[in-house]
Amino acid sequence: MDSAYQHLVDVLTDKFESTVADMNPRTTLAELELDSLAVVELFITLQDHYGVELDDSQARPEMSLKDIVSLIRAQLNAEGRAERL
Amino acid sequence: MKLAQERIAVTGVGLVTPAGVGAARTWEAVCTARSTAATDQNLAGLPVTFSCRVPGLDAAPGPRSWRHDRYTQLALLAASEAVADAGLDPRAWAGTRVAVVLGSAAGGISTYEEQHAKLLRTGPESISPLTLPAFLPNMAAGQLAIELGIRGPSLHTATACASGATALITAAQLLRDDLCDIAIAGAADSMITRLCAAAFAKMGALSRRNEQPESASRPFDTQRDGFVLAEGAGILVLERSADAAARRARPYGMLDGCAATTDAHGVTAPDPEGRGLHRAFELALADADATARHVDHVNAHGTSTLLNDRMEAGVLSRLFAAVAPSVTSAKGALGHTMGAAGAIEAVLAVLTLQHGLVPPIANLCAVDPAARPLDLVSGRARQQTVDLALSASSGFGGHNTVLAFRPAI
Repeated sequence: MDSAYQHLVDVLTDKFESTVADMNPRTTLAELELDSLAVVELFITLQDHYGVELDDSQARPEMSLKDIVSLIRAQLNAEGRAERL
Repeated sequence: MKLAQERIAVTGVGLVTPAGVGAARTWEAVCTARSTAATDQNLAGLPVTFSCRVPGLDAAPGPRSWRHDRYTQLALLAASEAVADAGLDPRAWAGTRVAVVLGSAAGGISTYEEQHAKLLRTGPESISPLTLPAFLPNMAAGQLAIELGIRGPSLHTATACASGATALITAAQLLRDDLCDIAIAGAADSMITRLCAAAFAKMGALSRRNEQPESASRPFDTQRDGFVLAEGAGILVLERSADAAARRARPYGMLDGCAATTDAHGVTAPDPEGRGLHRAFELALADADATARHVDHVNAHGTSTLLNDRMEAGVLSRLFAAVAPSVTSAKGALGHTMGAAGAIEAVLAVLTLQHGLVPPIANLCAVDPAARPLDLVSGRARQQTVDLALSASSGFGGHNTVLAFRPAI
């Protein structure tokens, strides 16, 4: 997809040691088997990397990786910092 | 005299220290008096810029979860070695009859420091939701229980630099009271943080030998100027002797005596007369049905501070004047692993029993006058048949512990 998606995949496989086979943009948080604290930690990890606030209360089990990338992109655009993608 | 079946056996050991992952690496380092101290980039700009860190942790097998503080990671690694070493399979044991007693002086303090810094820097929404489960001092015991399926008693013991020994004493009590059949006991600490290093330096406890880290930790030496901060974990598997025999386990040795006393003197400085430590030695010997003249070897606390080593040398001189057991301290090679030390040194004591070998004290060149009456082992490891070994630990707060070990028959 793009570098933001790749970064997300890297974080999931490295930090969260996700072993989901065939990880793709439609993979959901539920399929990743991340518990609620892990989801919050994921958002904070991405938040630290991109330097932008990501509201983890928006996270839902059916949220896909594509949805998360869209959220990051939207937040960076809103702060006028799309170049960080 | 304890009945044979009431004795406590050490059936497995595990070590993670600045010498590396696995008991063999630490045994090799202490037996060759190899110092593990080195300049530490993380302490740059502080009054003391060196420490003893566990190398190669990222390459070690096993859980390395973001949920764990580093001190928990050390405990998990050491515990998995100890359990395998004891010939036990956590998937097959009766978990409700297994206990875990872990000591730590500072728990997950590096997590605490990092998250607190984040709170100040980028606000409350930026801190990890796992901050508390990672830093609370009991959490390594909890994580170990999850990892190994332990459902019996579980707790954390804290007596500062005696925490590891206190954990073993507590585990022995649980076994004697029949509250468990197997006890996974020991300690872990990873408190080489900027705050801890700066604070210890501020109180004058650390060696300032920044230009020569490898010669800084020198227990009982006239040129010692403080201890060297280290991290590590030591875990022992304890069982009642009869149970160990029934499953044909081969113990390293028997924990035949335990004692705990308190100085009630000062918060950090030991009682200069060492009365509390002296009494702990006497009580441990009585608990082991022995007297001073039976002692072949002492693994001293020996931190390389002016006060401890002088006090401890005085205590050992008065207790063992007529006997001269061999005396060593592992802290010359490994540094001061804080709460883990008591457990790491208990493992070293039983390895001495098993191998008939006493490790030398690293960096011991000119013996402090207070320690001259002692038979301090230096230079090369010494072959010695040891039938009774004592291990001593003392901690801030005035806590003293002495453990007595004999070989398995």
